[in-house]
Amino acid sequence: MRRTFLILASNPMSLFGLFLIGVVVFSAVFADFIAPFPEHRGAVVDFTNFNQPPHWPNIFGTDLVGRDLFSRIIYAYRISLMLGVVVLSIAVPIGVTVGLAAGYLGGWVDFILMRLTDVFLSVPPLVLAMAIMGVLEPTLTNGMLAVTAMWWPWYARLVYNVTRSEAQEGYVLAAQIIGASRLHIMFMEILPNCVPSIVTKMTLDLGFVILIASSLSFLGLGVQAPTPDLGSMVAEGGNYLPDSWWLTVFPSLAILIAVFGFNLVGDALRQVLGSDQ
Amino acid sequence: MSAVDQTAPVFDVRNVSKTFVSGEHRVKALESVSLKVMRGQCLAVVGESGSGKSTLANLLLGIHQPTTGDLYLDGNLLPGHRTLPLRRMIQLVQQNPLSSLNPRRTVGASLRLALDVHDIGDRQGRKERVGALLEEVGLPADFASRYPAALSGGQRQRVAVARALACEPEIVVLDEPTSALDVLVQARVLRMLDELRRRRDLTYVFITHDLGVVRNIADRVAVFEKGRLVEESDTETIFTNPANPYTRRLISAIPIVSDEEETLRRSLMEETNDG
Amino acid sequence: MTALLDIRDLTLSFRGVEGENRVLHGISLNVAKGEKVALVGESGSGKSVTARIILGLLQEQRSTRVSGAVEFDGQDLEAMPAKARHRLRGTDISMIFQDPTSSLNPVYPVDVQFHEVLKRRNPKITRAAARERAADALRDVSIDDAKRVLDSYSFQLSGGMNQRVMIAMALANEPKLLIADEPGTALDVTVQAQTLHLMRDLVERKHTSVLFISHNLGVVREFADRVYVIYKGNIVEEGPTHALFSDPGHPYTRALMAAVPKITGGGIPEIPDRSESFSEPIVVHPATEASS
Repeated sequence: MRRTFLILASNPMSLFGLFLIGVVVFSAVFADFIAPFPEHRGAVVDFTNFNQPPHWPNIFGTDLVGRDLFSRIIYAYRISLMLGVVVLSIAVPIGVTVGLAAGYLGGWVDFILMRLTDVFLSVPPLVLAMAIMGVLEPTLTNGMLAVTAMWWPWYARLVYNVTRSEAQEGYVLAAQIIGASRLHIMFMEILPNCVPSIVTKMTLDLGFVILIASSLSFLGLGVQAPTPDLGSMVAEGGNYLPDSWWLTVFPSLAILIAVFGFNLVGDALRQVLGSDQ
Repeated sequence: MSAVDQTAPVFDVRNVSKTFVSGEHRVKALESVSLKVMRGQCLAVVGESGSGKSTLANLLLGIHQPTTGDLYLDGNLLPGHRTLPLRRMIQLVQQNPLSSLNPRRTVGASLRLALDVHDIGDRQGRKERVGALLEEVGLPADFASRYPAALSGGQRQRVAVARALACEPEIVVLDEPTSALDVLVQARVLRMLDELRRRRDLTYVFITHDLGVVRNIADRVAVFEKGRLVEESDTETIFTNPANPYTRRLISAIPIVSDEEETLRRSLMEETNDG
Repeated sequence: MTALLDIRDLTLSFRGVEGENRVLHGISLNVAKGEKVALVGESGSGKSVTARIILGLLQEQRSTRVSGAVEFDGQDLEAMPAKARHRLRGTDISMIFQDPTSSLNPVYPVDVQFHEVLKRRNPKITRAAARERAADALRDVSIDDAKRVLDSYSFQLSGGMNQRVMIAMALANEPKLLIADEPGTALDVTVQAQTLHLMRDLVERKHTSVLFISHNLGVVREFADRVYVIYKGNIVEEGPTHALFSDPGHPYTRALMAAVPKITGGGIPEIPDRSESFSEPIVVHPATEASS
């Protein structure tokens, strides 16, 4: 653990990634203290100061109803991160269990679970989420549900592959000879050896979940107004390009920072933890 | 108790064959093998790759089932499905301790597993027993908190032996337990295994290709070639008067380090040429 | 006696996260023309890195520091540009590795790989000419159906057959020095013994010098004219094979010999796996004129 951190900190790119993630997480957690106009996260209208380019005190400018863009982006981070965490904390356990069961038990369990996984994987993720959102009401909860539904199969695949190769290791045979239960072997012996791959993928995915959620709201299927959301901000602002450029550029940069940060760290983790085994 | 059992075989392999089928291919891994393993003895199972020696081990451990023939343990037919008490009686030490210990679990956790599964001792007692097991294989008790990566090859193999002993087995199948180790470490681990067997009155099935090891640790030797048992005899006879030409070839192929060995080997080769 | 390979006071350190780690503490060894020399030691003794230095594979890494002299055929390898060192590999110096099956490329048939090897020496050699040379080389290692083997892929051949192909390939360019790193350790004992004898006869016939790297004392005894014993980056004993095996002088060598289980029995002696005495200075047996 300490070694992992040391290696991450010694690489300038991953250090930069850690910094970016730090910025995003810090903004999300302390939004109430950082945002100059916390009330602007809701339905506030100020027609004396609308659609203004960056100026003091609205350093990122204001939107079409006069809300501070900087404050809204900070609150949007909070929503995005929460979405990412919720999605992964549901998708990962499902995917991991499916992958472990299919990979270790084999036979018909393998066949049924992995074919089901393949079905989910064969539909393009955005299309699947759009279909789910089309049927259900476009609320934040349903948005999370849609993204979760398209996310678990990736973990099932990953854990399935790792499990298949770990099951050949001598320690699994040793546990079988001792007489350990299948549940023990799956969750106590094999799962700890999947953890590095899972953690790496989760770090990368936090960025992607934010991106997908933004894409959905860009299409009008995600978080609904007046809740601030990076994707819908970009979509809305796009109508007023190039004159009101700040409406799109700053939310886009915000997405970039989050995705880029998680990707840099995820990539570095993949190298560090990969060489660990 | 053991005095009465000495005459009866612990393991009785009766006319066992094992054929592996994959698609069109049929591989006869073992062909009509009959073999007895006596209590408290060390039986060496010798052969090269494809000889069937590993298949025999897998049958004894219940990993595979024989295609035909039966296995008896203490005179009782061994069922295909091994119950916990049966598992407890027959344990395994694998060749590569790097693979056989879970890299993400501590030594203590690996040993505890056996105690937990077989419900040996109470909660506090198990912790002490882990320490005692480590000490029995010549390691300090506080190694329980270490991960395998922090141990040397010889130490790992000692942990693997301790784990097998944790079940309090009667029979231990040792699958090339020292062939991945350096020669000095190998000597120490072999000595430890020999002492453990005497102290705990264990029965060993020692699978190896190294006849030097066999000579110094086994009571009886079974030589396998291409799935057949070609010779079975006490160790002394195998090395001084081997009946089978393959056994002779195997002995003469062994790299040796002393002139005495050279003399023995030469005498065996001459006999082969005469025949 | 002129030395083909002459290593003097060679040290090697690796730089890692936890600082510098010295693996060779100034070793000196030499191989004369036509001589078969063994470097024997346990894992981590530094025997394999020595081979890598002779091949010039470690000097090019940034994390290593090498000092001392490595002279091959009168040229200083350390002073040589990387390109010239690269030219020596596969021509005047060749190598055989531990696992024959994974040393051969599974996607090309044997004859194509032979062609590649022969092109190192003679870039213009045609495929047909290479095939002919390869067939001869295979006959040298007692492969009678050379045609079939040349058209095969490594996974279609047995481990022993692959090992012979490796030997033939390593000797195809008539190298002056062959480095054999634990050859045949992955093979069955009977096959290992066979290929070892074959290799010994062949290098004797061709007067190829060999540096044989092994952990197996028995194998070394069968093969080498002269032996160096290496322990933790130091050479601890050196001498003609027979002299060294019949009268080992260094405590470490004695411990190694005692630790090998003998087919004549006698049990397994109590031996420490480390001891102060293992760090005693080198024991050198005088060279005997008859050994060659």
